[in-house]
Amino acid sequence: MIMEAPVASDGVTSTGYRETVKIPDRLLRRDQDRLEEAVRRKEAKENLSVSEEKIDHFSSAFNTEKTVIEELLSVCSEADRDQLSRVLEEVTSRIQQLQKFLNDSTVFLTQYELRQAQASLQKLQCGLEEKRDEFIPKKKFAFRSRNIGANMSKVIKPIRDQPASSDSGSSDGNLGVVSVVYAEQCGFSNAHSQVLTKEADEIQQRDVLLSHLTNCKVRLLGSPSTLHIKHVRDSEILCGPVSSSVFVDQCTGCTLAVPCQQLRTHNTTDTQVYLHVTSRAIIEDCTGVGFAPFTWSYDGIDADFKLAGLDFERNNWNQVDDFNWLAAGTPSPNWTVIPALERKCTWE
Amino acid sequence: MGLLTILKKMKHKEREMRLLMLGLDNAGKTTILKKFNGEDVSTISPTLGFNIKTLEHRGFKLNIWDVGGQKSLRSYWRNYFESTDGLVWVVDSADRLRLEDCRQELSSLLLEERLAGATLLVFANKQDLPGALSKDGIREALALDSIKTHHWCIIGCSAVTGENLLPGVDWLLDDIGARIFTAD
Repeated sequence: MIMEAPVASDGVTSTGYRETVKIPDRLLRRDQDRLEEAVRRKEAKENLSVSEEKIDHFSSAFNTEKTVIEELLSVCSEADRDQLSRVLEEVTSRIQQLQKFLNDSTVFLTQYELRQAQASLQKLQCGLEEKRDEFIPKKKFAFRSRNIGANMSKVIKPIRDQPASSDSGSSDGNLGVVSVVYAEQCGFSNAHSQVLTKEADEIQQRDVLLSHLTNCKVRLLGSPSTLHIKHVRDSEILCGPVSSSVFVDQCTGCTLAVPCQQLRTHNTTDTQVYLHVTSRAIIEDCTGVGFAPFTWSYDGIDADFKLAGLDFERNNWNQVDDFNWLAAGTPSPNWTVIPALERKCTWE
Repeated sequence: MGLLTILKKMKHKEREMRLLMLGLDNAGKTTILKKFNGEDVSTISPTLGFNIKTLEHRGFKLNIWDVGGQKSLRSYWRNYFESTDGLVWVVDSADRLRLEDCRQELSSLLLEERLAGATLLVFANKQDLPGALSKDGIREALALDSIKTHHWCIIGCSAVTGENLLPGVDWLLDDIGARIFTAD
């Protein structure tokens, strides 16, 4: 006990001493904190007023500009066409500037103000468009002459005078529309039990359409750029190398033989395809489609392969994607590989 | 500072954009993506599912989603709508028969709430084909002028030659940038 006392008292004194030193220190620090806090508050207050000022400045500037634009729009009249287009141009650029101003100001604007400003901008834009529609008729063909597609279609116009084989023989009410749509294409339509042949010069690098054929034999001895086969029943279609895609839609009971880059088969049933495809074949909404490698040939097919840009060595005829069968692992029931013994090997 | 502002600032820091590329099958979506990325376009096959590419352009990080356009895949498109900054609608300008389909699919997309804030870029693709409809023809066929809900722009292009792909994407970046990445 005696031994502990001095230690304890010693401890007390020493802490007592230390505290006397520490108290003013702590006070000083607290004072310092208080001062800093005051400065901070003051700054915060100033910031607030700055942002208020910013908002004030924004809304006044925005509204002034808005009024100017509205006035410009309201004085638009048909009287002077030259001046009118100048005014509209100015309005356009002013609206753009205003939009930019708004974009730059989004940092300090509240959601409400932002929405309001955006709405009035939209209104101005609509006003401008109305005026434009009212006074300046749409230049529908203004850019046509510069357009490559339009130019090319002009170039090949003479060819389109040959109509697809028996277009005229149809009682289809939509024929007018359809023949306009197919104006750029060639091919055969609406035929029954016939042998139909096209030579290279007619189809080379063109869009070929075969539609509404029944019980026909079709030979296309050349290299089309695209081949469409639609609504064909119980027919045999043999075609040279197609440089892009072959589309097969709504076909039943057909035999097709064609080399191509892609094959896209839709809504087709019980059809055999002797295929050379450099990328892939797909089927969608199909059943009973059989695939085998392409075996047909004609004089000059090698040159046509080159012309079509197809690799003779690469043939993915048995890699078929069924878009209705997305389960990996189990094979699609909608297509099969035609067994080697059942494949057709002679073509007339 | 609202949540939106915070989100904007976060995006700003990353300078990241999410672009969703849609359109009917055979429109050329994958070809555009690959061409833009400088890859070989001759072996492309119809997209079963989707492709995603992240690439840098003008200091932006672009996440481009290319989703297959076959009829059976279109019902999956909505799985990709979330937080899309830009919608790229690709049109086969030579496929005149399906322009009406194309118009319908686009207009139903534009009603989607989750795409409400997205900028729309329409690529009138395959302008290199002789039968292709012009940019203005496509604009009319798709009734683009009636779109008031989105910023939009149509650009005639060819994915095979690469023509006009860059101007299209640049416009899209400018428009999205003006919206999200406001000046500090």
